[in-house]
Amino acid sequence: SLAMELPPSHFSAARAAAVAVGYLRYLRGGPGRGLELRALRRARRQDIDDVGHKYYLELELEDVLDKDRTVSCTAEVLYHLGSRGTAPDVQVTVQGELSSTEEADEEFYHRIRSLEKELVAENIPDSHGNVPPELEPIHLLAWVASGYVIWQNSTENTKFHLAQVKHVKQVKRSDEDLQFDFVVLLHEMVSQEVLPWEVTVLWHPQHGARVPQHS
Amino acid sequence: HQVLRIKTKNEEEVKQLQLLESLEHLELDFWINPSAPALPVDVRIPAASVQSVKAFLESQGIEYSILIRDLQDVLDKEKQDMAESAQRQRSSSFDFGAYHTLDDINEELDHLASEYSFVEKIQIGESYEKRPLYVLKFSTGGSNRPAIWLDAGIHSREWVTQASALWIANQIASDYGTDASITSLLDKMDLFLLPVANPDGFVYTHTSNRMWRKTRSKIPGSVCVGVDPNRNWDAGFGGPGASNKPCSDSYHGPSANSEVEVKSVVDFIKNHGNFKAFLTLHSYSQLLMYPYGYKCTRPDDYAELESLGRAAASSIRSLYGTTFQVGTICNTIYQASGGSIDWSYDNGIKYSFAFELRDTGRYGFLLPANQIIPAAKETWLGLKRIMEHVRDKSS
Repeated sequence: SLAMELPPSHFSAARAAAVAVGYLRYLRGGPGRGLELRALRRARRQDIDDVGHKYYLELELEDVLDKDRTVSCTAEVLYHLGSRGTAPDVQVTVQGELSSTEEADEEFYHRIRSLEKELVAENIPDSHGNVPPELEPIHLLAWVASGYVIWQNSTENTKFHLAQVKHVKQVKRSDEDLQFDFVVLLHEMVSQEVLPWEVTVLWHPQHGARVPQHS
Repeated sequence: HQVLRIKTKNEEEVKQLQLLESLEHLELDFWINPSAPALPVDVRIPAASVQSVKAFLESQGIEYSILIRDLQDVLDKEKQDMAESAQRQRSSSFDFGAYHTLDDINEELDHLASEYSFVEKIQIGESYEKRPLYVLKFSTGGSNRPAIWLDAGIHSREWVTQASALWIANQIASDYGTDASITSLLDKMDLFLLPVANPDGFVYTHTSNRMWRKTRSKIPGSVCVGVDPNRNWDAGFGGPGASNKPCSDSYHGPSANSEVEVKSVVDFIKNHGNFKAFLTLHSYSQLLMYPYGYKCTRPDDYAELESLGRAAASSIRSLYGTTFQVGTICNTIYQASGGSIDWSYDNGIKYSFAFELRDTGRYGFLLPANQIIPAAKETWLGLKRIMEHVRDKSS
């Protein structure tokens, strides 16, 4: 069937946009880059028989570390029929270039690698919304990790946001990746539950981030 | 009353003063009693006795000077000085740009009520754990004038709302008499502000769990605690968009108005009988919504509420560019039954709006304190826009 135009303020469009942003954070986020949705410009929905519901989105994003610059992207989010246990299929195309984070990435990498004791932290942000500057990159890596969890666990009836990093522990590795074991609190808007989730993320300045399969 | 200082030259004069002391009908109050010639004698004399005491002293050649010409003046000035000092101390010590405990908030409500003659702190009930539900009443006169209701913090983890409500209270109080719009508003209407609609939950977010949303009532037959107070109103109660499971964060409760925090507001508004607007603050998502939540059909006043909502969102945006989406609850966020503005609307309060304040998820419930005042300021512009419309339609 044809794709139907949705008002961008409609909740179903907003939910699909949150999935797209989660996916993009997982793919392109890092300790030096946190992408936030500035505006949902356009949304269409298509009901595909025997497959599921597909959303076509036009998004405007900003980098939280450089709010004056925005970047446009298009996204497609396909929620599978009877979507129990299957993550939505997501494709995102970024128009133009995201600003380079090479310098910040290298600096963070070397700082963490040269720590004598593994990094441990809790409650990021704290109750009053504070994030100590040296923990902001960890906060942004939590966005990457939770972006993965959000993408994997979203349905048309959920809208997840990272509410807080409850706990993070660095795990030293014999290879060149940095490893962080997170306990994140995810706020699910529809049920209003705040749910703890354990997720491990591996990161390297050249290789980017990944969530290992067993996480 | 005057206070005299008497300088005795010899024992004889001291004896004269001791004689004076014994005359009870004069009602003299010696601050320093006559004892020895070298020591001064200070005495407070009631107005009626002043002339006769002075005449006596002069006839005896006893020297005196007037220490205090009018004691009441001195007492009045001292009282004023103390009040001003306390005010200065308070207003410079309440930081509207920080998050506060319930005790500090209640103290500030007392301060506002004492500083402004048209502001009164009233108690409309008690929470489950017996904490008072305090409402600030802004009224410049009249008798049961048409009124506006504003509440915050019904969901305790939404800290920017209680904080913004305090800033807004202070702003309204100080704007009366200086801002033309607020002055004309309060000259015609009363305003009732409940800054902490869920005090038990609020204390719990400070002491135990920052992410607590519900009340703290015990639920018979369950180990879980608390009811979602914004699913507990008698509007489509128990319908879609609320959970019947006690452990859920959107549990609607055993029955409508089962939560004393909700019932107290319902009773207050019904007994008052003359509310024209019902406005409630939540966070986060940056939304400005009107009924309905419990059903996905448009309210009868859809056109007017949509238009007013857009105007208010435009006012909000004018300050810092913050965008709020406007629409019915059902279209904008989700279908949700038992909500407060659906109840108020179905009970004849046409101008019923729910605000979801900053942000859109970057910090969510944990909005940094340095955003409290900007959030309060922009929200205030939206509220004002709505209130002005209500004022114009109510006169």
